[in-house]
Amino acid sequence: MIDLTRAMAAALRRSTALMPASRRQWIEAVLAEAAEVPAAWQRLKWLGGGLRLAVPGIVRSRGLWYPLAFAAAATGIAWSAWSGPPGDSAIGINRADVIAIMVILAGLPWIIRRACGPVASARLPGLVRIGGYVAVLALILAKSAVERVADAPPNNLGGSAVAWTGEAVFLAVMAGYAIVILACTARRPPALPATMVIGAATGTALGVMAYLLGPLGFPLRFAGPWPARLYDAALVLGALLGLCAPVAAGLAAARRAGRARSGGFRAGQGAIAGLCSGAAAALVVAVLSTATIAILPYDTGLQHWAVGHIGQWTPAVGGVTSIVHSRVGYVAGNSAFAAGYLLVLLISPLAGCAFGAWGAYAPPGSLGPRITRAWPRMKRSPIRARPARQDQ
Amino acid sequence: MLAVLCAQPSSWQHGYAIARDTGLKSGTLYPILIRLADRGLMEARWEDEQPAGRPRRHLYRLTPDGLASATTALTEVTPEVKATARAGLSPRRRLSTQG
Repeated sequence: MIDLTRAMAAALRRSTALMPASRRQWIEAVLAEAAEVPAAWQRLKWLGGGLRLAVPGIVRSRGLWYPLAFAAAATGIAWSAWSGPPGDSAIGINRADVIAIMVILAGLPWIIRRACGPVASARLPGLVRIGGYVAVLALILAKSAVERVADAPPNNLGGSAVAWTGEAVFLAVMAGYAIVILACTARRPPALPATMVIGAATGTALGVMAYLLGPLGFPLRFAGPWPARLYDAALVLGALLGLCAPVAAGLAAARRAGRARSGGFRAGQGAIAGLCSGAAAALVVAVLSTATIAILPYDTGLQHWAVGHIGQWTPAVGGVTSIVHSRVGYVAGNSAFAAGYLLVLLISPLAGCAFGAWGAYAPPGSLGPRITRAWPRMKRSPIRARPARQDQ
Repeated sequence: MLAVLCAQPSSWQHGYAIARDTGLKSGTLYPILIRLADRGLMEARWEDEQPAGRPRRHLYRLTPDGLASATTALTEVTPEVKATARAGLSPRRRLSTQG
């Protein structure tokens, strides 16, 4: 007990150095009073209260909320990845996945900070950065849950070179997404803020639409022919919209860039808007769809849809073909899963970039005024100075 | 808490004495003291001289504004708390002394 009390007092004493100067005296007061408190349990409780006072102050003043929230999310995902039935080869891959992605997500902000600066002070980029990280973490969580089901014996593909290669590519793609998220929300972004807002908003809407049109998001159990035809028509319209949206985002970004800019600059803005659009759409649809599969791994409707629509994407690896009827086809096996959404995650931003650049070649007459490059500053609640007294 | 501070408004009190009288734990007491000080309702200072055998204490008392606000607040609370204020004791300590 005495040792514990000493240790706690030492921790509290050290914490004063981390506190803001205006709060240090309060922790020192708790320490000074501790000498008055009867020894043993009561003194320990007194010092514990001091720590309870110090820790939130340190977290607030040092901006530790985000690292702590990230650490909590990482712990939860690691716990999920570490659990699974014995003999499931997906666990090894999941564990490697989680460790690698946490290192990537924790390390990249330091690197991007040097190139593009810290996160912009406006509220929107902060929210986009948090949302992007949450989406990547949610994808890892859902993917590990799906792979636990997909790779359960006897469909054991784990340990194969193809499976590990697929994971390596998946991690590289995720690192690319993290770089895009961090760079676009930094203080010195690679494009105009409006460009990235247009791209991200278009892509998010597109991703939700793709998810709803796909049978993963919409329980397609149409009995009659008319609903099925309507759905087919909606699919065609959705595909057209999917092609047109990055073009429209590129055009809108070019218009926002203004007529005074060069054609190359406008094309660049269009390309980045398209890239953001494609990346946001792919991330949204991958997260939502993978989560749906994780929740309904044996759903008959999903199995039929997968066989009919995405089953043919499944590469011929191991026994994938033979298990396509017992599980959702394109998630049967690590490499098959990677081949499904990895393709979407890989192709969508590149296609969006190309379509966006193409869309940005608009006639100069339709372009708007030139706008600034920096993020708008966050509107903080002003601390109004009291009006000076007019004592006369 | 306000009752204890109002009981002897002119004298300086230290944290452990207030905690003892109110029955509050340090993790609850100090955030209240900090808020009162931030709002200018309470003043705080360190003991002037270094006493022998123990560290200097941080001392507190209500400011005139704080005393006025505390008195107003206390008029709106229950008779039990008022009695506590008169006795300068926490309800917990009153019960223990009565028992």
